[in-house]
Amino acid sequence: MSHGVTRDLGTLWVVDPVAELAGAANVALRDGRIERVDWRDGAEAAAARFRAGGEPDLGDPTDLLLPALIDLHAHFRQPGAAASEDAASGERAAAHGGYGTVCLMPNSEPAADSAEILASMVRVDGARRGVRLLPIGAATRGRAGTALAPLANLAAAGAIGFSDDGSPIADAALFRAALIGAGALGLPVIEHAEAPHLTAGGEAADGAVATRLGMRPWPSAGEIEAVARDIALLREALATEPRVRLHLTHLSTAAALDLVRSARAEGLPVSCDVTPHHIAFTDRWIAGDRRWAWELVAHGSSDRSADQSSALDPTPEAFDSNVRVCPPLRGADDAAACRAALRDGTALAIATDHAPHSRERKEMEFGLAANGIAGIETALSVALAARAAGELSLATIARSFVTGPASLLPAAHASRGISVGAPADLVVIAAAATWTPSRATLAGKSLNTPLIGRALPGVVRLTLVSGVVVWEAPER
Amino acid sequence: MTPNEAPRSRAAGAPSDHRHLLDVAGLEWGQLRRLLDVAGQMRAILATPERRSDELRGTIVATLFYEASTRTRLSFEIAARALGAELLSFDVGTSSVGKGESLVDTLRTLRALGADVVVLRHERSGAPWLAARAFDGSVINAGDGWHAHPTQALLDLSVLSARIGGADGSLRGRSIAIIGDLLHSRVVRSNLHTLIAAGASVRLAGPANLVAGFADLADALTREARARSGDAAGSAQLVASIDAALDGVDAAMALRIQRERLSGGEIDSLEGYRRDWGLTEERLAARAASGCLVMHPGPMNEGVEIDADVADGQRSLVLDQVAAGVPMRMAVLSLAARGELP
Repeated sequence: MSHGVTRDLGTLWVVDPVAELAGAANVALRDGRIERVDWRDGAEAAAARFRAGGEPDLGDPTDLLLPALIDLHAHFRQPGAAASEDAASGERAAAHGGYGTVCLMPNSEPAADSAEILASMVRVDGARRGVRLLPIGAATRGRAGTALAPLANLAAAGAIGFSDDGSPIADAALFRAALIGAGALGLPVIEHAEAPHLTAGGEAADGAVATRLGMRPWPSAGEIEAVARDIALLREALATEPRVRLHLTHLSTAAALDLVRSARAEGLPVSCDVTPHHIAFTDRWIAGDRRWAWELVAHGSSDRSADQSSALDPTPEAFDSNVRVCPPLRGADDAAACRAALRDGTALAIATDHAPHSRERKEMEFGLAANGIAGIETALSVALAARAAGELSLATIARSFVTGPASLLPAAHASRGISVGAPADLVVIAAAATWTPSRATLAGKSLNTPLIGRALPGVVRLTLVSGVVVWEAPER
Repeated sequence: MTPNEAPRSRAAGAPSDHRHLLDVAGLEWGQLRRLLDVAGQMRAILATPERRSDELRGTIVATLFYEASTRTRLSFEIAARALGAELLSFDVGTSSVGKGESLVDTLRTLRALGADVVVLRHERSGAPWLAARAFDGSVINAGDGWHAHPTQALLDLSVLSARIGGADGSLRGRSIAIIGDLLHSRVVRSNLHTLIAAGASVRLAGPANLVAGFADLADALTREARARSGDAAGSAQLVASIDAALDGVDAAMALRIQRERLSGGEIDSLEGYRRDWGLTEERLAARAASGCLVMHPGPMNEGVEIDADVADGQRSLVLDQVAAGVPMRMAVLSLAARGELP
């Protein structure tokens, strides 16, 4: 057992979404626990500051202290494709990204539909760093969508929820049965919402980019229809099992987020997350236009004359399969809706959908390449880029990376925040510094991200899990 | 453990450099004029008794066609030979591609064999961009998916410029209809760029399910061309019927209708298609300008998108299009070798 760290962290800008406090504070750790949090302006001011967005003033410390981040959605490719990522490299990448807890999707090969495979998803040979790896069990056997997986066995083996991620559970009756079965165990179904009859063969979001570039369209209706169905089935399942819980992952369209917003207002036990790439990238990235989503003028789809800030003609970087992802990147309006959903709590988390792929599976024609972006090391930086543009506050970011995702997890995994006596589950970020993703700077095995070579804000200096250092950047 | 290399880090040639012809998007009239001029020089070479030059002697041109083609492939091969190049004709059907060799690996093999220029036809939109990042030579796009067919648009422009162009060869004041399955057509996507840049007014029409998104695309391309070239640029618009498209036009281009659109339900019947969208002599005589010319990129479904008497008649430029392919592709290969493509 590693010895807990004892260290004076000095005065940082502390944002604690658990206690809902933000402000300059002097923090010290002893034996792996938080020994001291001295709020410079007092706890009441820190509460008011958090409510106002948690942002520092000019002259306040720029190094941030947050609870260690929680990712609800990652793929570490073990067992099956360990050359792309395995639990050890994934743990390293997660620690570099500021994460203390990562939930792993069951689309390993074979799928995690048994206690043995579930255990093998999170097994690390040799020394563990200590990032918590929480497995999600398959909802159906082999993720084939024909029969329920042994949910109780998977729960007993540590599954924190069930999903057929990568595919939706297309059979409506089976989906309802999964909701009820998981609900009886007190666990959520985490659904990849996609109507495959509408999206088969789709390469890019239906819209101006797909039309211009001749890409096979993946319509918004492919997500909206699935979310509407899932919510209707949730309402029915709730009548049978009051503990049902539905979590829709990687939503990408304004209309689907509106459906979740309405369902939550109705009191239904439904939540959702959005990915870093859907809040920050757009389908214009396929054409090689690499401006952040918020740098484009968002416009209503009824206004066809606006937002032609530049031509969509493909640049030399066009058709880069590193921006091929499912659901596909969409327009600036949908990306803005994803950020708005984080601000108003409709989306409770930014989940990475970290999907590492080997060069062989990505260095292909756009429409033939594997879907997915390796994003666990850049997620926080992307959120901080949105923050720099005034799109997300530190309070929203802290909620989206910590308390939001924690609310989907069993109580044992709840973050205890930044309070005296709590175990040190923390991340220190040099928010004013920048870094550039590259083979040299990324810790994961796969480099399938369009952010290679791009300067990003926010350098993770230190990640602590249960009082143990899992990542520490070299001295400045 | 070595991390997987990023595709980006292996990029060989930047696709923007002047060895590649990936696209005609964004070209201005002056750049197109230069291509027409070089094609004219090539036509002069083809008119000499030798019918060839040795400009590309020692250059290896590989044709890499992942999709069936007659006209495009043959005219590139004739063009390469007419310039004295060595031809490496790669048969995807009998190659290791059938064993799962990737496009990038195939390109590296071709490069190792000494290929300087790859002429690529691929069923996936954007494949030539991947090729240009991976291949340390010239990449010429001979048609990618639904996206672009640059040399087809250039040869169509050369035919129109010669027949109905103004003193400078431009198409200012001319109107041209393109009719049919726009959605799946790389020909229309590239022709829109070149015709607008040449100053033409383009009218688009086709069955509702096969023109989705083209009203906005036509507007956007018009706006962008105007921003680039001002009044020299033409325009494009989607209209509701073939009669509206043909009204007073100087040339009409029919696009090939693929029979799989029948099974997909996007068109009801071939007879119905001819009735609503076919280029017939009766319709041309009634609606179009007198002397309206007719084009088709081939292969044609006679009696469906175009009637046989139209395709074979006085108006038809179909064989001119085929013939124009050789000098235009010679021009493209020559400029690629010189690194002087736009």
